[in-house]
Amino acid sequence: MDEPNDRFAERLLEAAREYHQPPPTPRDEMWTRIASERRRRREARRLMVTPTWLAWGVGIAAVLALGVGIGRWSARERPAPPWAGPAAGDVALAYHLAATQHFSRTETFLTDFRGAGLDPRFALSARQLLTQTRLMLDSPAADDARLRALLEELELVLAQIAQAAAGDSAERNLIALGLEQRGVLPRLRTAIPAGPGLSTQGAL
Amino acid sequence: MDERDLIARVRAGDGAAERALYDTHVDRVYRHAYRLTGDDELARDYTQETFVRAFDRLASFRGEAALGTWIHAIATSVVLNGLRKITRFRRRETDLAAADGVPGARRVAEPDLKQRLGQAIEDLPARYRMVFVMHDVEGYTHEEIGTALGVETGTSKARLSRARAKLRVALADFAGEWRT
Repeated sequence: MDEPNDRFAERLLEAAREYHQPPPTPRDEMWTRIASERRRRREARRLMVTPTWLAWGVGIAAVLALGVGIGRWSARERPAPPWAGPAAGDVALAYHLAATQHFSRTETFLTDFRGAGLDPRFALSARQLLTQTRLMLDSPAADDARLRALLEELELVLAQIAQAAAGDSAERNLIALGLEQRGVLPRLRTAIPAGPGLSTQGAL
Repeated sequence: MDERDLIARVRAGDGAAERALYDTHVDRVYRHAYRLTGDDELARDYTQETFVRAFDRLASFRGEAALGTWIHAIATSVVLNGLRKITRFRRRETDLAAADGVPGARRVAEPDLKQRLGQAIEDLPARYRMVFVMHDVEGYTHEEIGTALGVETGTSKARLSRARAKLRVALADFAGEWRT
């Protein structure tokens, strides 16, 4: 069934070859962006390199945790103490995951927005994302300076989109230019870890 | 310079080799992304993401397939994931718009062949559309498609056959005109 066997199929293939006919490849523009994105990621990785003292600290903490685990296991016959709520670390992790999910949704929205014109659907979604962004800014997720800066950037962009007049292509272009110049999408993508989607389920 | 030398130089951090590798493969990756998205900005985004990932992961490339095939597998995965996210988002947006009384953005296809064909291709399920575009539009072999999508060659052939059958049904009213 690899080759078309009738005139209809031949014409179908002829017509299909014009489907989404690509323009010339913007090689240099893309290369500039790739080089800049790679520099950004390298820098982010460099900042995330674990110092030796921290590696030792993590090792010691792991040994302590193992000791506590063994202790609890050996004393499991005793009645459990009353639950005192989630540990501070669990709460911070949950907020961090929620922020990451929010970034992922916003990245998809902004990617979609950049490729289309302003229409009422975008304003509606921007308003919802703006509300979530502001909630995030008031949450412990914003204690992290890097996340706070990104959330503040998103607040500005989403507010612009939410308030922009539908169909105003000049305004849309200005917003898209701002997105480009401030590198909002690459920063969002850097903040979203690669791999399967994160879930906050069970974190709290 | 042969491919192995090029890869070795890129792994050693040679910027000129990185650019040479990019120049060798970028046209096909961009065309692939553009054919599947129909959008220049998205195609640029996906092409960039493909090369950023490819450079990041080049250390793990074992040479079991040609470098081009490996890069295309990354590109396909980037485009598929990106389109899935956008499709989910648009579906949600359309639902919200309907709930809010905002007219949806669904385009009405014009009775023009190109438009009809474009719409018919876009209406194909993603797994059929991907194979149809890669094989019939871009000229990939079933072996390349199988590697890129992680499916057997036979599966690729079966999907192409289903895609063509669905297009035939969708464009049935052109059949009489085309026979002449």
